[in-house]
Amino acid sequence: MKSFFEALTNLFRKPATVKYPFEKTYIPEDYRGMIVHNPELCIWCRKCEMVCPPGAIVFSQDMDGKQTYHYNRAVCIYCGECVRQCPKDGALMQSATPGTPAVKNENINNSWKVTYDEALKSRAAYMAAKKAAAASKSAEGAAE
Amino acid sequence: MATQYDIPVGAQHISLLEPLHFKLTTENEKIVDVQANVGYVHRGIELACTSKFKFRQVSFVVGRVCGLCSISHTTAYSQVAEKLLNLELSKRAKYLRILVLELDRIHSHLLCLSHVAENSGFEALFMKTMKDREISMELLEAVCGNRVQYDYSVVGGVARDLRPEVAQMVLARLNDFKPKLDDLREIFENNYSLSLKNRGIGVLSSENVKLLNAVGPLARAAGVPIDVRNETEDLLPWKEVGFNMVLGDAGDVHARNMVRIHELYNSIQMIENVINGLPEGDIITETKAMPEGEAVVRLEAPRGELFHYAKGNKTQILERLKIKAPTFSNIPAFIETFKGNEYASAPAIIASFDPCLSCTAR
Repeated sequence: MKSFFEALTNLFRKPATVKYPFEKTYIPEDYRGMIVHNPELCIWCRKCEMVCPPGAIVFSQDMDGKQTYHYNRAVCIYCGECVRQCPKDGALMQSATPGTPAVKNENINNSWKVTYDEALKSRAAYMAAKKAAAASKSAEGAAE
Repeated sequence: MATQYDIPVGAQHISLLEPLHFKLTTENEKIVDVQANVGYVHRGIELACTSKFKFRQVSFVVGRVCGLCSISHTTAYSQVAEKLLNLELSKRAKYLRILVLELDRIHSHLLCLSHVAENSGFEALFMKTMKDREISMELLEAVCGNRVQYDYSVVGGVARDLRPEVAQMVLARLNDFKPKLDDLREIFENNYSLSLKNRGIGVLSSENVKLLNAVGPLARAAGVPIDVRNETEDLLPWKEVGFNMVLGDAGDVHARNMVRIHELYNSIQMIENVINGLPEGDIITETKAMPEGEAVVRLEAPRGELFHYAKGNKTQILERLKIKAPTFSNIPAFIETFKGNEYASAPAIIASFDPCLSCTAR
């Protein structure tokens, strides 16, 4: 009998679910969302790249030594370890914006692999060029 | 002798949450023999942890072992790594770990209860339980920043502090949750149609619990006091925050439901004690040491005793990591529990085990 009345009152109750596209679901203000990088404050120590568990951050380097930050939101697990380990306050931040889903046209996995490999290669090339310059400099010094 | 039929349940079955395969040998609708196969979700996580990831990253990797008890794995691994590093945690970090572990236990137990209801044919109770479970999911999201992957414990402490307004929100929402839990207890305890499917079904005697090494609510429902929270005090101060052992007596599906529901009351009480008596201190202890030697940690996950073993060799990469999940320990008991029951009761019995195959196969 009790469950009968319960069923009747349930007819007039509001639904427990959220009408999602029209209403926003609950997201706390310190939700672990996408990582935001500030190149003006960054000291380019690459610590975030070293600690990132899935390898979602990588730095490429031009031949003049300037580094560029690359981030893949589809590889990121939003653990926030990079932000905790960052030695410079404000250079890396975790926003409350959830990562948008990757679409097919983006080709996010394969293009990320290319970016990652190229970034590592560009750094190796820079290091090799620096080494060669230092070697030729020391050779010049020895010749003089 | 009547003809025997082999009926497969799984690996894909409507009453199963995860790929688990039981081959039930039945005779006149009675189950007489069972074979279990649990290795469908092997992902090679242990090898990945000892080859690809540095030891500080492993705590995030083991969190991905299982979605329901991700905090148990993360905490157990963090504790085992802290043992290897000889690291002592602040009391605040320990308290915060207990807070999230108990919130996780609430949502995990409610999920199990809802599936027992669903598999017993009580769809409305399934929806009601899932609706109430949303409270604990939102609290976990507020505390940890994510609904499923908490990543809360890291090696050396916890990842983020508890903000005062979140603490107030947890207390307020748990207060709202208590009358709903009373409602659920009322239904699970006294509902007649649910009792037909739950009382006296899937009985596991206390002798069998001891013989087959069952752990967790499965053992406690049979009246055997097995709970890591009762046995260890060195890593997390369980008794200080008010842990009480919950025991059943009958060892059937109904007793397991009741043990889970009464553990929820205890979990709520522990969370309130943690928040009201939260000590001051650092949430993370830094060290530059490298893991060395061997260590073992036991932790009470929602499903029972979780066991992590790690061996370090003074490098960033661990030499060995072994995870033994509670469901793995319980499989012999699962098989024994099926025997002698009707085939139609099998779904409710499976749900009452609360099997977690992602943990088991890793």
